[in-house]
Amino acid sequence: MYCVRKVTDDLYWVGANDHRLHLFENIHPIPQGVSYNAYLLMDQETVLFDTVDWSAYRQLAENLDYLLGDRPLDWLVINHMEPDHAASVEQILLRYPDVKVISSEKAFMLMRQFGFHPDLHECITVAEGDTHCFGDHTVTFVAAPMVHWPEAMVTFDTTNGVLFAADAFGSFIALDGKLFADEVDFDRDWIDEARRYLTNIVGKYGPHIQLLLKKASGILDQIKFICPLHGPVWRENLGYFVEKYDKWSRYEPEEQGVLIAYASMYGNTESAAQALAARLCEKGCSNVAVYDVSNTHVSYLISEAFKYSHIVLASVTYNLGIYPVMHNFLMDMKALNMQNRTFALIENGSWACKSGDLMQKFIDEEMKNMTVLNDRLSIASSMGPDKSLELDALADAIIDSMKEV
Amino acid sequence: MLFQTTAEHEQLRAKIRAFAEEEIKPIAFSLDQENRFPDEAVKKLGEMGLMGIPYPKEYGGAGLDILSYAIAVEELARIDGGSGVILSAHVSLGSFPIFAYGNEEQKQKYLVPLAKGEKIAAFGLTEPNAGSDAGGTETTALDKGDYYLLNGGKIFITNAPKADTYVVFAVTTPDIGTRGISAFIVEKGWEGFEFGDHYDKLGIRSSTTAELIFNDVKVPKENLLGKEGEGFKIAMSTLDGGRIGIAAQALGIAQGAYEQALDYAKERVQFGKPIAAQQGISFKLADMATKLRCARFLVYSAAELKEAHSSYSMEAAMAKMYASDIALEVTNDAVQIFGGTGFLKGMDVERMYRDAKITTIYEGTNEIQRVVIASHIIGRMKKSSGGGGSRSAAKKPAPITGVRKGKIFKEGGAKERVEALAEALKKDGHDFTVGIPVDTPIAQAERVVSAGKGIGSRENMKLIEDLAKAAGAAIGSSRPVAETLKYVPLNRYVGMSGQKFKGNLYIACGISGAIQHLKGIKDASAIVAINKNGNAPIFKNCDYGIVGDVAEILPLLTEALGTGEKQPAPPMVKMKRPPVPKPEPIGKSYVCGGCGYEYIPEIGDEDAEIAPGTLFEKLPEDWVCPECAEGKEQFIEA
Repeated sequence: MYCVRKVTDDLYWVGANDHRLHLFENIHPIPQGVSYNAYLLMDQETVLFDTVDWSAYRQLAENLDYLLGDRPLDWLVINHMEPDHAASVEQILLRYPDVKVISSEKAFMLMRQFGFHPDLHECITVAEGDTHCFGDHTVTFVAAPMVHWPEAMVTFDTTNGVLFAADAFGSFIALDGKLFADEVDFDRDWIDEARRYLTNIVGKYGPHIQLLLKKASGILDQIKFICPLHGPVWRENLGYFVEKYDKWSRYEPEEQGVLIAYASMYGNTESAAQALAARLCEKGCSNVAVYDVSNTHVSYLISEAFKYSHIVLASVTYNLGIYPVMHNFLMDMKALNMQNRTFALIENGSWACKSGDLMQKFIDEEMKNMTVLNDRLSIASSMGPDKSLELDALADAIIDSMKEV
Repeated sequence: MLFQTTAEHEQLRAKIRAFAEEEIKPIAFSLDQENRFPDEAVKKLGEMGLMGIPYPKEYGGAGLDILSYAIAVEELARIDGGSGVILSAHVSLGSFPIFAYGNEEQKQKYLVPLAKGEKIAAFGLTEPNAGSDAGGTETTALDKGDYYLLNGGKIFITNAPKADTYVVFAVTTPDIGTRGISAFIVEKGWEGFEFGDHYDKLGIRSSTTAELIFNDVKVPKENLLGKEGEGFKIAMSTLDGGRIGIAAQALGIAQGAYEQALDYAKERVQFGKPIAAQQGISFKLADMATKLRCARFLVYSAAELKEAHSSYSMEAAMAKMYASDIALEVTNDAVQIFGGTGFLKGMDVERMYRDAKITTIYEGTNEIQRVVIASHIIGRMKKSSGGGGSRSAAKKPAPITGVRKGKIFKEGGAKERVEALAEALKKDGHDFTVGIPVDTPIAQAERVVSAGKGIGSRENMKLIEDLAKAAGAAIGSSRPVAETLKYVPLNRYVGMSGQKFKGNLYIACGISGAIQHLKGIKDASAIVAINKNGNAPIFKNCDYGIVGDVAEILPLLTEALGTGEKQPAPPMVKMKRPPVPKPEPIGKSYVCGGCGYEYIPEIGDEDAEIAPGTLFEKLPEDWVCPECAEGKEQFIEA
């Protein structure tokens, strides 16, 4: 059965929802699913903006059949070649032998690398600032390198103010009937997954998101709709989401608060982490989130790290090193270019306590613009009441450093 | 092309030769013997307009060419090698950087009196750990807003302390190697600028050489020469020119020795004829003359290249290397020709033999000249990664105990200094009304008073015990005090292999601060050093220090901390230490739009032979992303 929704006038959402995929990019869990958004413009000529994942092709085909009826598909615009949007390109090319393709030079190269055959069709290679008219609608192409692949571009329809934003402004969670962000309680139900999507997928490329935001800021008043490739379409309160993107891509925290991530083998380090959380709350700092790194997927930790201003890492020493899962979290933060946070460390070790020094060294030498508070809590096996004063000192140091900001 | 000097050059030569023979030759022996600077002669050189030969007349110079300058050095050195280097160091080391890199005000203020010979210049680059490798420079110039605060020292500085104007090189941006070095004009007489002893040298004893000591010298902002970070470039280009001067000096010394030997060989008769007529001696003279001619052509050619603003770095290095190498050979042969007579004090060749040696050493050893020459003819070879590579990327080792206050009490007598120390400790929150037993295990002790070998005899351990009681501390020691001297049990020595101290206060008495020991106290909240050797490493690793004898300081400190009974100390609260300041980035990072690769200037791009420290803006135009080969224009600021 076809499943389409009208975005505005002659523009339709023709994408699909996916609840079957467990791991997005085969790495990030998506318990609430994800949508693959493709859009069909029924102008004097018909235009498909991007496609869907291979698993959703049948839905896309049904949607196109329904809307096009007897009309041919005249144009295929590819903003982003990553297979979750572009895996169906070859099928579209086969299904519509006369379809003409518009994309960037690098995207055409990627199409060939993925084994597609755009060269059997008329191809128009576009670059920054090029325009194309489909009848009533004229679109402008804007390069968006590294958001989140080098070939990416966004397309702005100057006629109806629609921005086809590619991976920018996307989110996890399947749409399940809703299409617009104003049809859901975004700030309550979606923001965490939107953050987890952005920070884990495009987090590394903050400077390039900033570049894109700068380009967009020039035409912000003309943008009426943001149509991303995942998640809901934005037609109201665009500034809310733009502001979030600005913060994430500048690596600025959203909130003054503390993420406590602990790595504990037998519960002793966990106990210290919980004790610290309680002290913080007792002292008035209740915006605290506590996670066990061993049973929390790192994408959630990354998302929380982008959210909060302060990060406490509590790790046991393991084989004279950092506990592997904690080490993995650190390496992921580094890979995603995480910056501008204040860290506090809790280390545990029963005979040679190394994790604190090693975590400090990693943060100091491998990451950018990080502050590590001096008040490290060092535990030998388990924390006794004799450490109460030090625990207080650590909590105070965290709260003091918030005031300094 | 006859490769000859002009008539003007020869007139100048005649003038200087006459001066040297009349004014310097009669006193050359006594200058050498007495280690004495020829003040009068230098003054006259100035009056004759010879102290600024290659500089324009508008700046007080003679407006002559570089070759004229080389001839002047050669002619002075022909009589007295020391006098030659006075001129060389003044003109090409001290004055040249101001001429080439100074702004108009600096030239008017400093170059004019130098070129006129009213003042003498010197050049301060060499340090104990930075000679051939300027990247090891440790003298620092801290930007204090209105001025730079200069600290450190220079060694082997020619013309010091006679010189009035010093071009001094100091680190303005630490940890980035030669790119962090800047040049400053420093005047004699400024507060905190002092001289060490005048060195007692093997040769060139009429030239004065001394150590420069900078202790909180305020250098006005306007005395920065060129821009910050240009120091290494200024030093290297100055040394290029300086090599012509040293080459000319070596040439002059050899020429003088050769002439003496030739005259002597014609006079000295053996086997019925002058020794010059003996083939053995005549061949020597033939070789000497040939070497001199070779050296002269190299020196003059380099001077002419410089004058013509052609590239001359390699040619100057060749001239310096060759002229000084043959100066040793020629002066050696000259002494040989003189025989036993030449071995006697008072003979010119004996002095010249000694004078020649320095020319293969200073202003770039001849080994370094060969490095320079080889780099020109072979090109820059790819450096091996790790070890032996460029040190510009290598980070300066931080003090082993991390960032410390480094406050050394110097004001007043021993009592005042000790009281100031006690005051500072109390202000930091150390409560001396409470204490721990002296036998508390080191690892659990909040405070430790520790004895090093500097404590002296065993009776002095009483001083340590008293101080430990007064400070409410346990007793510790350095390894030798426990292991060799056996003043304390073996389980009380502090260090990497012994006990680690992690408490709040460590008072090191007579401990010099070996690395092993320092590693054992790196987690101490505060370190106090008491040692009579102010240069002991412990002082670079302490928060507070007093340079003084433990026998004098310890009883005073004991008294200052209070000898009354101590209350038992509550559980230790570890005192905070200041965060380690991170070095500022030396420039912006840039991210590739083709793949997300980040160019970080501190790291550079080794595979493309981009040295660490190269700013993105300074990358060659044809540089491409090492990961995806996109061009520079695809990069954006990170």
